[in-house]
Amino acid sequence: MSPVDRRNFLKGSLTALGAGGAGVAVGLAGADRAHAAPAPDLATTARDLNARELSQRIPFDAFHQSGIITPKPAQATVIALDSVAANRTALFEGLQAISSEARLLTRGEPVGVAEIDDPPPDSGILGAYNAPDSLTVTVGFGASLFDDRYGLAAKRPPQLTPMPSFALDELDPTRTHGDVIVQICAGQRDTVVHTVRELMRAVAGHLTIRWMLDGFQTAVRDRDPKANTRNLFAFRDGTANPDATNPAKMDELIWVRAKRGEPAWTTGGSYMVVRVIRQHVEFWDRVGMLEQEQMIGRYRVSGAPLGGTYEHEDPRYDLDPHGDRIPLNAHIRLANPRTPKTSTQRILRRGYNYDRGVDGAGNLDQGLLFMAFNKDPDRQFATIQRRLETEPMTDYILPVGGGYFFVPPGSRGSGDWVGSGIAD
Amino acid sequence: MSGSSISTDALRGGGGGGSDPSGSSRRRRLALWLAGLGVLVVVALVAAATIPGSHSAPKPFSTLAVAPHGSGANQLHRHESAVFDSNIPAQEYGTRISRLENGIGADGQLASDLDPIPASAFNRPVGAYIHYALGVSDRLGTAVTVLTAQLQAGDRAAAERAWDVAFTDYLHLGAVYGLLPGNLNDHLAQVPSSLTQSHFTGLHRVEKGLWQGAPLRSLVPISQAISLAVVSLKHTLPRTQIDPLDYSARAHEILEDAQRDLMSGNQVPWSGEGVLGTAAGVTATREVVGTLAPLMQGRDNTLVQVDNWLLRLQSVMDSLRRADGSYPTLTQLTIAQRERINGNLAGALTALEGIPPTTETVLPPTFPTIASQEHTK
Repeated sequence: MSPVDRRNFLKGSLTALGAGGAGVAVGLAGADRAHAAPAPDLATTARDLNARELSQRIPFDAFHQSGIITPKPAQATVIALDSVAANRTALFEGLQAISSEARLLTRGEPVGVAEIDDPPPDSGILGAYNAPDSLTVTVGFGASLFDDRYGLAAKRPPQLTPMPSFALDELDPTRTHGDVIVQICAGQRDTVVHTVRELMRAVAGHLTIRWMLDGFQTAVRDRDPKANTRNLFAFRDGTANPDATNPAKMDELIWVRAKRGEPAWTTGGSYMVVRVIRQHVEFWDRVGMLEQEQMIGRYRVSGAPLGGTYEHEDPRYDLDPHGDRIPLNAHIRLANPRTPKTSTQRILRRGYNYDRGVDGAGNLDQGLLFMAFNKDPDRQFATIQRRLETEPMTDYILPVGGGYFFVPPGSRGSGDWVGSGIAD
Repeated sequence: MSGSSISTDALRGGGGGGSDPSGSSRRRRLALWLAGLGVLVVVALVAAATIPGSHSAPKPFSTLAVAPHGSGANQLHRHESAVFDSNIPAQEYGTRISRLENGIGADGQLASDLDPIPASAFNRPVGAYIHYALGVSDRLGTAVTVLTAQLQAGDRAAAERAWDVAFTDYLHLGAVYGLLPGNLNDHLAQVPSSLTQSHFTGLHRVEKGLWQGAPLRSLVPISQAISLAVVSLKHTLPRTQIDPLDYSARAHEILEDAQRDLMSGNQVPWSGEGVLGTAAGVTATREVVGTLAPLMQGRDNTLVQVDNWLLRLQSVMDSLRRADGSYPTLTQLTIAQRERINGNLAGALTALEGIPPTTETVLPPTFPTIASQEHTK
């Protein structure tokens, strides 16, 4: 029975009752109104919401690659690839394949069919339709791609070096560097997993996996839409990020422009820093709350700077020159001292948490898949990183992997591919 | 009304007495009723007399305070209306206690249940630990001499065994990590940042040579250099200072390091002697806890919990110890053995995390707010 039928039925009943007393009439009129707007079925609402989110599309072809200033969906995987291509042409085929496949997957296509005795063209784990689900695939190149194997040395973006080992790093070669980095982000885990499967199929024989890591965001649990999600030390992460919706700010801090000595093909690209940072969470959980907050410089629950009341409040270091309120070696103070001199060092962080099981000593292997974009890694990221070497939080974290990569400008259309500038 | 009778019932210990249906019992109940009514009248009169003028702050009470023996304060025939040693009404006791437990004091402000210990109280524990460490350094000196002799004698198995003993004694030093001057610790047992690195000294350099089949004679100079480092260690230890907060944190940091660096194999990459090292960490931790025990007496339940867990962990390590004093290497452990170590180590660490707050030397300071700093500017 449709809602309209029910409403007619009630009106009929009311007529039959006649002037059966005001109380009854009011009650029934109330019932009538309630049925005029039927309470939505929760399962239907959830399904509709899910369908709406699954249908969100972020274009692959754009001036800047997606996955940098586009919103950060809940799930991610980062794959570092090494080239096994026999020659330059084969390498370019592999890189082209990433873009072609990513373009289809981010658009969302019905899953094709094949001859019954052929392997299906798609792994099919998302069903008959590969919903786009805010999928982004961001491609970057490591310094090693520009070594002598493919004659690309002249094309190397000038600021691109292998990531140095910072003072407190214990970099594991099997989780560090790579010729190519692929960052895959989407709303649902299965979308990311499917994309990994399809991309790896597309590059088979050309590029092979050096290391990979899955990441996730904590769910949005705040009314404030601007509230940042939490890292696995439970503190909000990304609060002091520059405004990604401000093009002038992004041009100042993130996007590379060709200038003297820099190849033209790099314009619109950015340098990406990936850091795999183990967090000793059991150790952290044994630290008193006061000490935790002093190490970070913020309140754990609200994310407000110490002595403040809300997350995005200015910590006002000018009022606190001796660190009476926020210790001078607190994480937020060293990372971003908010002085005119350090304002050009700011980076755009876009990290994810990781949770990769347990280590041999029975401790949880959790941490931060730190990812950040900037236009000069040594002047920006590395300067911040060197300042952070004296923070007390270093006792609770251990950088074990990652790398420096150059993320080229976006693909210009279906005939183009990300990084085609190195082939010109 | 009903609130008051409930609380006096509660103070009487749940009403007492069985339900004897006899007449005498009924008479007694009537007498109790009259008495109760009398008390209520008195309470009402007292309240009427006090409430209008009672603007004085409530006198806070301690949860530790108990009625002295023989005071009769808790005897059933007395009808207590205030908490012992305070002027807080009995009805409010439960509310106030629960608020206190939640960190809010009698004045309605955030309260801490910390009860700081004077920093000077740590002089004796730290002194005792340094004394212990001096004894350990003597044993370490002997062990390194034996190691050198075995290396000279050319018996690899015996040399490995001697290394185990020396490494154990080095780890028995426990709570002095990070406090030794200059490169002294590197000369004793530097852990290289990379396994392929060969320019390093100390016990781990001998470990690498022993387990990687280096000629034993080539390791003799390294072992002799360690002996020299032990001599300067003995000179250094009596002058070593440990800050109270730092010292009480070391009670759990020794085993945290053992868990992270030894049970993972990271700092025993060639010998795999993570279990042996962890057992040494338990010994050093018990030494630290032993020195702090007098300071923790009667404070929460920390000491009992810590002692209990360290004993459990000790018995796990003892059960793995072989007759010749050696332990299984990390790769020799069965799944069940590894789980027993990991699980009990985690339990011990959870108990040990209570030591720093239990032995706090200061109350948490009051921090300025942005608003207050703006105001004073």
